[in-house]
Amino acid sequence: MTKRNWLILIVLLPILGNGKQVLAHGAQIGYSRTQALEIQATYDDGTPMSNAQVVIYAPNDPSRPWLTGTTNQAGKFAFVPDSEQSGNWDVKVRQAGHGKIITIPENAILASETETNNSQELASSNNAIYNPVQKIVMAAVGIWGFIGTALFFSRKKTQQQ
Amino acid sequence: MHIPDGFIPPSLCIAGYALTGGVTWYCLRKINRTTNPTEQIPKASLLTAAFFVASLIHIPLPPSSLHLVLNGMMGTLLGYYAFPAILIGLFFQAVMFQHGGLSTLGVNAAMMGIPALLAYHLFQLRNRINHKKQLWTRILAALAGAVSLGLSALIFVVITITNISQDLNVQTEKNLILFSLVGYLIQALLEGIFTMMLVVFLDKVKPEILKG
Repeated sequence: MTKRNWLILIVLLPILGNGKQVLAHGAQIGYSRTQALEIQATYDDGTPMSNAQVVIYAPNDPSRPWLTGTTNQAGKFAFVPDSEQSGNWDVKVRQAGHGKIITIPENAILASETETNNSQELASSNNAIYNPVQKIVMAAVGIWGFIGTALFFSRKKTQQQ
Repeated sequence: MHIPDGFIPPSLCIAGYALTGGVTWYCLRKINRTTNPTEQIPKASLLTAAFFVASLIHIPLPPSSLHLVLNGMMGTLLGYYAFPAILIGLFFQAVMFQHGGLSTLGVNAAMMGIPALLAYHLFQLRNRINHKKQLWTRILAALAGAVSLGLSALIFVVITITNISQDLNVQTEKNLILFSLVGYLIQALLEGIFTMMLVVFLDKVKPEILKG
């Protein structure tokens, strides 16, 4: 190869090697695949807790906030747990003096990492999630307990008379 | 209006239990001194059922949603039975529906129960008034229902504002809690009207229920 051909090859090498680097000063947007954990906060009537404050506590330091944020209009908030920390994650949601603290167990975190459907796991971590039919049945049972008490004391009174 | 678990320090939870324990003892002592302490239990039990389910009736009022409390109505109709009735109702609400919490049961019972006792004494003022008694019965019933709820809301606001975790945006939370007072004021008016309507009905149908 002549000296002139070597010179042309050296000039063209960067262009041939990586075309993207030629376009300098451009914006770059990267992405990576993660398994985020999404929480949804609702009032007990099912209304989403929109714009509520969220505080996440990591297993390694449960007394210091690991992440803070606010829920969206649907009451949802997503975060990617640190896979190097093993243990339970605490999530606090609060708005106007109302809210709740739940503990997301380690197995739910692991389940989300292995791409299994974790909605059931999360639901089971919070006992407050009942559907309307369950609530009606529970309320009916409670009311019957109070009515039974009332009937019992009424009956006793009748017998005494 | 229930304070959930983990939102107030343990010392306040213990103080709440101590206060509730003392007031419960006082109320039971008062009940025990009546001629027939079990006579009012059926009425108390039925009203506890009403109190228990009242928390499931929601009134959407942004940024939060309100639910009926009816502690003023409980105090007006039950007298000293109201406090233990509210305590039992709150216990079942916490266990079954997670309204409030078990660690905060004492604080919640004091917050809703003591204003109920005040409502009772407020309503009993009607016995000292001979002139236009029916009118005063209505006025005092409405006042008992509204003032009791208003006082509970004020206690709730003071407790929650003074115990905002530093992990949160304190100013935002404080503003929201203060804003929620407007909602509680509307709720107090509603519960005052409801208590008055119930008392007027009972006064016509079965006036002996209203005797203190």
